[in-house]
Amino acid sequence: MIEARGLARSFGGRAAVRGVDLRVEPGEIVGFVGPNGAGKTTTMRCLLGVLRPDTGSTQVTRPVGYLPEQLAVYEGLSARGHLRYLARMKGVAVHDIDRVAQLTDVADLLGRPISRLSRGQRQRVALAGSLLGPPAALVLDEPTQGLDPAQVVAARDVIRRAARDDRAAVLFSTHLLAEASAICDRVVVLVAGRVVADVERAAFGDLEERFLRLVGEATLA
Amino acid sequence: MIRAVVRKELAVLWASPLPYAVAIVFNAVAGVLFVDQLVGRRQAVVQPLFPIAGFLLVVLVPVLTMRAIADEERSGTLDVLQSIPVQAATLVAGKWIGVVSTAAAVVAPCLLMPLLLSWWGDPDWGPVVTGFLGLALVVAATAAIGLLASACTSAQAVAAIVAMFVGLVLWFAQSTQTASAAGAVARLSISDRLHSFAGGAIDSADAGFFVLITVSALVAATVCVDARRR
Repeated sequence: MIEARGLARSFGGRAAVRGVDLRVEPGEIVGFVGPNGAGKTTTMRCLLGVLRPDTGSTQVTRPVGYLPEQLAVYEGLSARGHLRYLARMKGVAVHDIDRVAQLTDVADLLGRPISRLSRGQRQRVALAGSLLGPPAALVLDEPTQGLDPAQVVAARDVIRRAARDDRAAVLFSTHLLAEASAICDRVVVLVAGRVVADVERAAFGDLEERFLRLVGEATLA
Repeated sequence: MIRAVVRKELAVLWASPLPYAVAIVFNAVAGVLFVDQLVGRRQAVVQPLFPIAGFLLVVLVPVLTMRAIADEERSGTLDVLQSIPVQAATLVAGKWIGVVSTAAAVVAPCLLMPLLLSWWGDPDWGPVVTGFLGLALVVAATAAIGLLASACTSAQAVAAIVAMFVGLVLWFAQSTQTASAAGAVARLSISDRLHSFAGGAIDSADAGFFVLITVSALVAATVCVDARRR
């Protein structure tokens, strides 16, 4: 489970997140969408304990898998070395590397230095690292950036399987509404640090129109 | 968990050209200057090696430490580790051991110099042992200072420059002393403390000084890593 209650965080007096309430149940996939600078990454970092919130509380079931927005991989290591290090730090059996490598289609890349992998391949290695465990909660910040269309489809399938097979609570941010509506059970819209909508799958039909209206209203407000 | 950090740190460091470049520069400069000292003195003494090596370590160890934490912050891997969560003290300790091990490997060829010297003369082995012990303490302290600098910024170059600056201030502390502050400043001098090791003495106050600097810098680095959450 992933939960935030009244989460607020500011930087140098500028509020980045203002009282966010959020809950993701086990097996649920929640898309976190919003314009650039809406506070999605800050919210995620607070949820994970990487940032301390000014006010509010968070609860995330461990073990947790996290994929940051940047390509968070060790360029000096091989793909296997990177995953082995993360497995050890998470206290996960090293043989789980083969499972996540198969899932993310990086099994053939394990012996190669990360510095010689393409951006998309590195992103898949990073995604594999977040799946080690398997995690009870999965927080993914723009997980499909840098992937080609076929890899995007494969990554979506991996995320779906993590929720369905491992009952992971999945929160993932994206700026692509089409992507959110493709795999999410629910979409939470964040604008200027506030949750302005919580849209169930049944109402995804007019998601784009609603999103633009909400962003416009929040910007005017 | 510390062992995993050490192994990763060693793998990442030795996959880069840094340790090789540092080893070449260190051993070439130390070797040339040491031979120059021997020729000038016309004596088979090993003592001149230690201030030369100590000064080079103050300048070069920050090159090994600069990316240790700064690069983890820049690349986002520090966020991943903190989300697990990995304790800051575990990370800092593992990285320090990794850097100190690497620096030890860089300095290791210097051990050949007293051995080579023994072919031509009969050096006193007591100061050789205490001198290398002194160098080990310099490595420990400068690596800790370097890690602290790396924990305070995500810019590697800034981390290296700050660590070098602090190291050089501590190195030259004895020569900048004024009459009023002479005692206090001289106590902070790395070169003065190393000098007594090179002379064959193990003074507990000198050893304690290096241990104090090392522990203080490591604790401060741990606090800095933790402070990122604020």
